[in-house]
Amino acid sequence: MLKKSHTQKNKFLIYILIPAFLFLGLFIYFPVIKGIFISFKNYTLFDLSNTQFNNFQNFKNIFTDQNFRFIQILFNTIIWVVISLLFQFILGFILALLMKKPFKGRGLYSALVFYPWALSGFAIGLIWAWMFNGQFGVINDILLKLGLINSNIGFLSNPKIAMISVIVVNIWYGVPFFAIMLLAALQSVPNELYEAAKIDGAGPVKQLFSITIPYIKPTIISTTLLRTIWIMNFPDIIYAMTNGGPANSTNILATQMINKILKFYDYGQGSAYGVVIIAILLTYAIIYLKISSKKGNDNI
Amino acid sequence: MKKLTLLLLCLVLLFSISFSKTVTLNYLEVMTSPERTKLLKDMISKYEKENPDIKINLISPPYEQADQKATLMLNTNQKLDIVEIRDYTLKQFVNNGKLEDLSKYFENWKDAEDLTAVAKKAAYTLDNKPYLVPQCIFIKALFVREDVLKQNGINTLPKTIDELIDIAIKITDPSKNQYGFTWRGKSSEFKYSDLFASAEVENIKNEKYIYSTEKEFFNTEDYKRGMEKYIKLFKEAVPKDGVNWGFNEQINSFVSGMTPFLIQDSDAIPLINNLMDENKYTVIPIPEGPHGYTYLDYGFTGVGIPSYSKNKTEAWNFIKWLNSPEQNGYFNEHYGALPVHKSTYENNEHFKNEKYAAYGKEMVSEKYIFKTYPLDSERWPGWSQIHEVDMQNLLLGNTELKRVLKKWEAYWN
Repeated sequence: MLKKSHTQKNKFLIYILIPAFLFLGLFIYFPVIKGIFISFKNYTLFDLSNTQFNNFQNFKNIFTDQNFRFIQILFNTIIWVVISLLFQFILGFILALLMKKPFKGRGLYSALVFYPWALSGFAIGLIWAWMFNGQFGVINDILLKLGLINSNIGFLSNPKIAMISVIVVNIWYGVPFFAIMLLAALQSVPNELYEAAKIDGAGPVKQLFSITIPYIKPTIISTTLLRTIWIMNFPDIIYAMTNGGPANSTNILATQMINKILKFYDYGQGSAYGVVIIAILLTYAIIYLKISSKKGNDNI
Repeated sequence: MKKLTLLLLCLVLLFSISFSKTVTLNYLEVMTSPERTKLLKDMISKYEKENPDIKINLISPPYEQADQKATLMLNTNQKLDIVEIRDYTLKQFVNNGKLEDLSKYFENWKDAEDLTAVAKKAAYTLDNKPYLVPQCIFIKALFVREDVLKQNGINTLPKTIDELIDIAIKITDPSKNQYGFTWRGKSSEFKYSDLFASAEVENIKNEKYIYSTEKEFFNTEDYKRGMEKYIKLFKEAVPKDGVNWGFNEQINSFVSGMTPFLIQDSDAIPLINNLMDENKYTVIPIPEGPHGYTYLDYGFTGVGIPSYSKNKTEAWNFIKWLNSPEQNGYFNEHYGALPVHKSTYENNEHFKNEKYAAYGKEMVSEKYIFKTYPLDSERWPGWSQIHEVDMQNLLLGNTELKRVLKKWEAYWN
């Protein structure tokens, strides 16, 4: 009797989960699998009369493309992800630490800090593109008035500075995410631990590295992993600010994937870029989780 | 008696159903913007009032996804009777067998004779068959801030491209944040360099396209000279930031007076009029090249009928109405593009205005030879991106002109 009710319960669970699985399958897994198929096909909107499998031709093309060199795009992507992530994390962590202790107006302050996270990436890109404008931009104006520079800087037209400019915007955009997540984790650290540490004579720095960071490590690992994936798949800001230019200096895998589809109408090569991104991220996630779990963390 | 009444009732019902049969036409627009959709909706309701048996269902996907939506709907034979086509999408729709050849309709369309030469070219772009009725034409003219020129001691307007370059360089003074020319550095920047460089090449006039896989002139002395002039213009009359300028930056530089010369389509006129005093600037035809003429490219949008539509006659009747001189003039007057009929430039007050007249002059003058790009070539998709990267490298000094021209020559061969 007991067994029967158990299977009935299981059945019920399966029934209520079916819509969710269907939804995920239809809108997430089906497009991904379809995309992988297309990456092996000759699939251009320009001529859909011949959409045969062309083996690895799309991949060969993206690796040997002389106009958009894969090595340069990959290098740009790594710079974009690593530097953005590093600064987003450090600044987000500092903000979270500052907001941990209650103070007057904390609610308003938190709202202001979290504000960028609520905006669309494309809109942010458009706004910052004007702020960074080499002729009318407010940033040039402020730097000139402060006497820090003598002539306008072409933030988005100088290939050496353009990447830094778009990364600055991305950092500004991404800090709140870390601040929100780390603040929540910080608030879960029991106060007794700090009190005990104080009695043992540990200073703030020692407390940070010996109590706070180890305690919130699972959150740190999951958030940095998530953000790496998101930043790599986040072309909005670059697309709005430089469109990958000047001269490919800010072109990353995600913007190039969009270019292949919107400008070249080549869904085959666009999907191939997508598959490359998935492969890189999967490898990264596996290695990252292996390393972090080896160090004695089984929570992830 | 009862049976008879019932029979009569049934008959009446049947008749009333067959008489009140309305046809619904699905119409997909692609150049979507809120103002344009509203304009089209107003025009549609006018048409529906005049034709009570027709209902038109306007589908307006967001601009960024519209071309893909059109492709998807056509390729899956979804219910569609009227579809907007752009110069960029025409070839793929026809390639995939989704557009009706409108030749037989054109034969009995009295307004076809009234189409401007450019509009006619647009209609017959592919295989010399009309797959679309042109609705909007986009060509370029020169916008000039006369007030800024006067402040800098210049009282004449440039008649040749060389004069334009000379004046632009002459008035440039970076210390006053005064530059000469409104550069275009991204998003279809090739249309600008091609305009300057191709004007030097006499033989293009015999070709169908400015360049194509059949014929190109990149490595000729003439084209090279044109490119050198264009690069000189950048180095001596444009702020370095120009490398990254798109449409918005162009409009801003011109309106602020920083760069008094701007080359743009007519849809920039209403926008600029909103931002500044319209008496401070004028629009003139593009200056002529050293051989006495300039090659101008033209863009267009039009409407066509999907090959599988079941309401082709009704669709054609609406298209005919929508693109009659009166309605097309009204539409473009509010939308900002150029109308497709000759008579509109003579009858519509709006297009007699000197700013639009510049475009009208270009379309009738022998100094302007209209050439299109090889939009039907498989080399075409992505060319704008490749050109953009090469041009930016060139302007930034990362490569040299000779190498770039060789590369372009190889690309088109």
